[in-house]
Amino acid sequence: MSANVIFGILLAGILSNNYALVHFLGTGTVLDNRRPWKASLILGLGTTVVMVLSTLLTWPLDHYLLSQAAYLQTMAFMIVVIFVVALLNLLAGKLLNGFCKADFMKFAINGAVLGLCIRNTELEFGEAVITALGVGLGFTLALVLYSRLREQVWDEDAVPAAFRGLPISLLTAAMIALALLALKF
Amino acid sequence: MRKMNLHEGIPARLVLMGCALVMLASADLRSAALMSGMVLLTTLLSSVTLSAISKFIPKGARLPAGVLVITGFVSLLDMLAQAFFPVSANMLGVHLAALAASPVLFWVGEGAEDQGEALAVRTALTTALFLAAATMVCALIREPLGCATIWGHPIGFLENVKIPILADTFGGYLVLAVVVAILNAVTAGKKEAAK
Repeated sequence: MSANVIFGILLAGILSNNYALVHFLGTGTVLDNRRPWKASLILGLGTTVVMVLSTLLTWPLDHYLLSQAAYLQTMAFMIVVIFVVALLNLLAGKLLNGFCKADFMKFAINGAVLGLCIRNTELEFGEAVITALGVGLGFTLALVLYSRLREQVWDEDAVPAAFRGLPISLLTAAMIALALLALKF
Repeated sequence: MRKMNLHEGIPARLVLMGCALVMLASADLRSAALMSGMVLLTTLLSSVTLSAISKFIPKGARLPAGVLVITGFVSLLDMLAQAFFPVSANMLGVHLAALAASPVLFWVGEGAEDQGEALAVRTALTTALFLAAATMVCALIREPLGCATIWGHPIGFLENVKIPILADTFGGYLVLAVVVAILNAVTAGKKEAAK
C-alpha cells in the first residue's frame, strides 16, 4: 500500500467519511457530550485506540472463526468491544488517575465503534486498520469541534427562542456535516 | 422514573441521544417504519429482561450485561428484518446492527434495572413511541420533498420541485432541527399558559 493511499484513507476517515457527522454512527454520543474540549479530546483519543484495537481483533475473528456463523457477528464483535473498552478503562484508571473511569465505558461503547468493526470486515486487513485510525481521528475531531462550537451557541441570546438548545445544536452539526461533505474526494 | 411529558417541553436529552436513529432512518418511510419497530421491540424486550434479572447481576457488571442483553435482541430482530423486510433492512445496512450500541437503549436499559417490570415497560414504550413519532414525522417530510416518492412510489407533481439535499445527511439534521423548533414553539405557549 503506497503512502498516497494511506494518506487518502486517513484523510477520508477524518473528513468526508466522518462516521459521527456524515454517517450517523456515534452521532448521539457526540451530540450528547457536554464535557469541555480537553476532556473530549482525551475521550476521543481513547475511543480511537478502542477502534484500532477492536479492528485488530474483530477482523481476524470474522475471517477465521465467524465465516460459518455470520449470525453471531454482532454479538461477537460487541463482546470484543466490551473487552477492549474494559481493558482500556482499567489502564486509564491507573494511568490518568481515574480521569475517565466508568464514564469511559459508557462513552466508548458506541455505534461508531461497532459499525466500524462490521464495515471493516469488507476491507483488507491493513486497509481496515488504517481506516479505523482515520475514523477514530475523525470521531475525535467531531467531538472537539462540536464541544467548542456548542459552548458558543448553546442558549445564546442571539438565537431565536424556539431554536435555542437542541435545534441550534443540530443545525451546528448540520453545517459541520455540510462542510465535510464538500471535501468528498 | 424518567418523566417524559410534552407539556413540560421536548425531552432534549432523549432527542440528542436518539437523533442518529431518527436522522438515518427518516430518509425513507419504509426504513423509518422498520427502524421504529426495531427500536420499540428492542427497548421493550431489553427493559423487561434487564428489570427481571438486575438483582442477580453484580453492580460492576451491569453495563456489560445490559449491553449484551440489548445486543442479543438486536441480533435476533436484525435477522428477522433481513428475512421479512429485505428492502428496508438493506437500506439501513450496518445501522441495524449498530442499534445495539445506541445510547438511547443503554439509557432505557439502565433505568429499567432500578424499576419494576411494569414501570420499565411504560418507560420503554413512551421512549420508543416518542422516537418512532419523531422518525415518522421527519420521514413524511424528507421522502416526498427530497426524493419525490412516498413509500417508494413516485409522486409525479413533486418530481421537478424536489430538494435532493433533504434526503441527504444535511437534510436529516435540518428537518429534525425544524421539527424540534416547531415543537419548542408550541410547547412554550402551553408552558406559559400553565404558569
